[in-house]
Amino acid sequence: MIRFFRNFFSRETPPAEDAQTAEALRVAFQDRYHRFKRLLSANNDALETMADIQAALAGTFPFSMAFVRSRCTRTSTKVFQIVQQINELAPGKYTALFDRFKEIQMAINPHVWPKQTPKTGPLVLPLDRIDASKADQVGSKMANIGEMANRIGLKTPPGFAVTAAGYWEFMAHNDLQPEIDRRIQAADPEHLDELYALSADIQQMIMNAEIPPELGRQIAEHHRRLADFEGQTFSVAMRSSALGEDLAGATFAGQYRSELNVGADHIENAYRQIVASKYGLTAVSYRFSRGIRDEDVAMCVGCLKMIHAVSGGVAYSRDPVDFRRQVVLVHSAWGLPKSVVDGATDPDHFILSRDPSPKIQHREIAEKPQKLVCYEEEGVCRLDTVGDESRLPSLTDGQASALAALAIRLEEYYGLAQDIEWAISEKEEIFVLQCRPLQQQEFEGRQPVPDEPDTEGPLLLSGGRTAARGAAAGPVYVARKNIDAFRFPDGAILVVEQALPQWAPLLSRAAAVVSEHGSMVGHLANVAREFGVPAIFGVRQATGLPPAETVTVDADRSRIYRGRIESVLHNRPPPRNLMAGSPVYEALRGAAELIVPLNLLDPDAPSFKAEQCRTFHDITRFCHEKAVAEMFRFGRDHHFPERSSKQLMGEVPMNWYVLNLDDGFQKESEGPTVPLSDITSIPMLALWEGITAAPWEGPPPVDGKGMMSVLFQATTNQDLVLGRKTRFSTRNYFMISKNYCSLSSRFGFHFATVEALVSERTRENYISFQFKGGAADLDRRHRRVRFVGAILEDYGFRVEIKEDALSARLEGRGQSFMEHRLKILGYLIIHTRQLDMIMANPASVSFYKNKIEDNLNRLFPLEAEASEEISAASE
Amino acid sequence: MTDFRVLLVDDETDFLETLVKRLAKRNLDVAGVESGESALAALEATPVDVVVLDVRLPGIDGVETLRRIKQTSPLIEVILLTGHANMEVAVEGMELGAFDYLIKPVDIDDLLYKMQDAYKKKAIQEEKIRQMQKKNLGA
Repeated sequence: MIRFFRNFFSRETPPAEDAQTAEALRVAFQDRYHRFKRLLSANNDALETMADIQAALAGTFPFSMAFVRSRCTRTSTKVFQIVQQINELAPGKYTALFDRFKEIQMAINPHVWPKQTPKTGPLVLPLDRIDASKADQVGSKMANIGEMANRIGLKTPPGFAVTAAGYWEFMAHNDLQPEIDRRIQAADPEHLDELYALSADIQQMIMNAEIPPELGRQIAEHHRRLADFEGQTFSVAMRSSALGEDLAGATFAGQYRSELNVGADHIENAYRQIVASKYGLTAVSYRFSRGIRDEDVAMCVGCLKMIHAVSGGVAYSRDPVDFRRQVVLVHSAWGLPKSVVDGATDPDHFILSRDPSPKIQHREIAEKPQKLVCYEEEGVCRLDTVGDESRLPSLTDGQASALAALAIRLEEYYGLAQDIEWAISEKEEIFVLQCRPLQQQEFEGRQPVPDEPDTEGPLLLSGGRTAARGAAAGPVYVARKNIDAFRFPDGAILVVEQALPQWAPLLSRAAAVVSEHGSMVGHLANVAREFGVPAIFGVRQATGLPPAETVTVDADRSRIYRGRIESVLHNRPPPRNLMAGSPVYEALRGAAELIVPLNLLDPDAPSFKAEQCRTFHDITRFCHEKAVAEMFRFGRDHHFPERSSKQLMGEVPMNWYVLNLDDGFQKESEGPTVPLSDITSIPMLALWEGITAAPWEGPPPVDGKGMMSVLFQATTNQDLVLGRKTRFSTRNYFMISKNYCSLSSRFGFHFATVEALVSERTRENYISFQFKGGAADLDRRHRRVRFVGAILEDYGFRVEIKEDALSARLEGRGQSFMEHRLKILGYLIIHTRQLDMIMANPASVSFYKNKIEDNLNRLFPLEAEASEEISAASE
Repeated sequence: MTDFRVLLVDDETDFLETLVKRLAKRNLDVAGVESGESALAALEATPVDVVVLDVRLPGIDGVETLRRIKQTSPLIEVILLTGHANMEVAVEGMELGAFDYLIKPVDIDDLLYKMQDAYKKKAIQEEKIRQMQKKNLGA
């Protein structure tokens, strides 16, 4: 060693200093290599996160603002690191990138962290000062009640609303939001059990929070004013009226809590409970599925005097599964309407004509063994009905007709079909408790023909009512207890006893829903229609369906068959893309436009400059290119033989050069060559095995046109002129360390680069491959990159093709898997060169594809790799 | 490469305890504290190689703690770990010399790799300084 350094450095220099300088240089190289590695790692992370963002924008799975924020922040952090590292590798050369970075980040910010509008205004508003125009202060539910009371002149209970300003005041007073956001960030919304724990924790935090004194004072004051006379005792119903429910097509059905029959002492507690229900499991998973931002939902709370209902229920001004029918639907039960809305019981069902005085066309009186009533003091309870009551209609014909007329009137007023919750008091007065647009199920299937004879297949069950149209097949899963929800398999048929809103979080994963009790007007039915999940409610003995057995649910005709019945499944609704157009989706789309597009495509173009970077992807591309160049340059500029490139020696010297960045050689090489046996680089050795696995058969026979195309290109492309020094090196360079390898190669007219990191850190492993150029005309070159791309996709690469440039990536797989793919790449680099010349006709394309695939299977069989992965997994 | 010292700083007691336990199982010399102030005190008593620092802390926050650590011991590598993804804080942290900015939930292996990489950087910097000192002595 020492002798060498004495030879290399000036002979006059004392040997001790030689060694010292060499040691310092070695550390300098190590430092640079470490920075380079960090740049590569950040580059890889940034590209992976961009792929995540692109996958999310395909709109096939739901995601939250927490996802948007974490992905944007991660990309931003990684890109900033890349900019820092390149400026360390080449001080002063690329400082313009810091400005580009900051400008792009500033442009992303408003998409991801939109400015909050100021939250001021009264904390509490009495109902007589509320109408539809106040929806942004009191939520649409309370705004509609005010509109009906003050503009339409309908009877509603008197009351007041705690406004959005009141809500923000409550949250700010207790500094709740940052902690809630942190917990949401840390949870995985795809896992129901995690979501459940998250929801429970946040709700507990809210329940323990203090009501700001001024808010508490105003609530008490407005509550006092509801008394008809001094000293009257009365109770109230407290209901959620959330802001931000104006998303098109979203029902927000049954997500939040209502507290019925609340006494004066418990108003503050009920308020907390309703605010907490913003983070109930149903609400959290609904917002997640629909792409609604948490921060857009301010929980306003309505407080209305309690109506001790004799009967109550829901009226629909149209049939939600068929708007063309000229009918009004009224569902009714004894006692409070809650049991109808919750889907717990089977209500009486009236179908009425749409006349000025609606006539009953059809009437179905259900067996009503129980009813929900108010306790005298506080709270509600289920009572058994007595005597004939269970079998008697809960409405007179006159009341049903009056309710239908009311529904038609509201539809005409709002210009949209309406979903109305009502109650009839002891004095037989009709009170409207809620009114909102009725969602029509968008569905272009065949018309249901309920009485069609059964020829489709073995019938298991029939009966009940269509709650949401369509058909689906899947394994039966009977959910009885809450805990069963955690084990619900994706794509199963959800079977439940009661159509309760608590099952709603499963609808985004269920193929269909079947329940024994409940009706089409309940919350779960609303959500099923919204999500396009076929549903039949009121099917007797549904929970007796065979668990895990595949059945076909035909919701249109209320039938369930054994097995998969393809003729029924024709009627399956197309999967709905619930994310597209949602606020969360738009936030990501806006940010992605500044992150994902790649404008700097050609490193040789004059526009390949730091100043030209318009997106984060541009910055990563630019920095990666420059970093590789800097690593080469440093080795070349410092005449340090250990770190200069060596010619690779097989049996003879070859036209391949290797630059050792760190620990790529078994021992340091002093001379101008390195024997193959000294290479320790795992990815290089795998690639080399592919490159040398079979001799190249030489260029394929070319037809006349192919040759003409090559000749024509040669006259226009200066790079192809022989003997001329071109901007491309004619040698093949490896830059290596034990776990890293970068190959830039030129074979004839073809340029390929491979970069790979392969180590025991599986999650950091990647292979990136770029391929461009060719001698033939653009058409043939296009066909060639598509040809190579198709083979790579078969091997699990993510392939992108732009014109005649191909780039492919593979990430996060184990060492043996990565090595296998590198062998495939090595083979392809050698054996697809000049294939562009024969890319004239499809027959020869498929001939060569088969040939190459046969060879790959023979040389690098997949079985070996597969068994290795399996044995690794079973360890 | 696990023979280096790590200090974890996080006010979420459960998270901190679990992480200390899991990292100790991987033969890491690891301690945990719950605030920026106690982190600074701990560093004064026992120097470490790598600090993993939560951003939102009671008292002085993570960014300020980072600033003070870098002032007194610039060679200590600091990894920020946060439940509040925030682009501006991330960049501020990197500008102050943080090794990385990670968002919870974080895979334990990823965190371990980051700590190893951070320690490697520290080791190289120390080696560079030693070389420079040798050279100065020789001159």
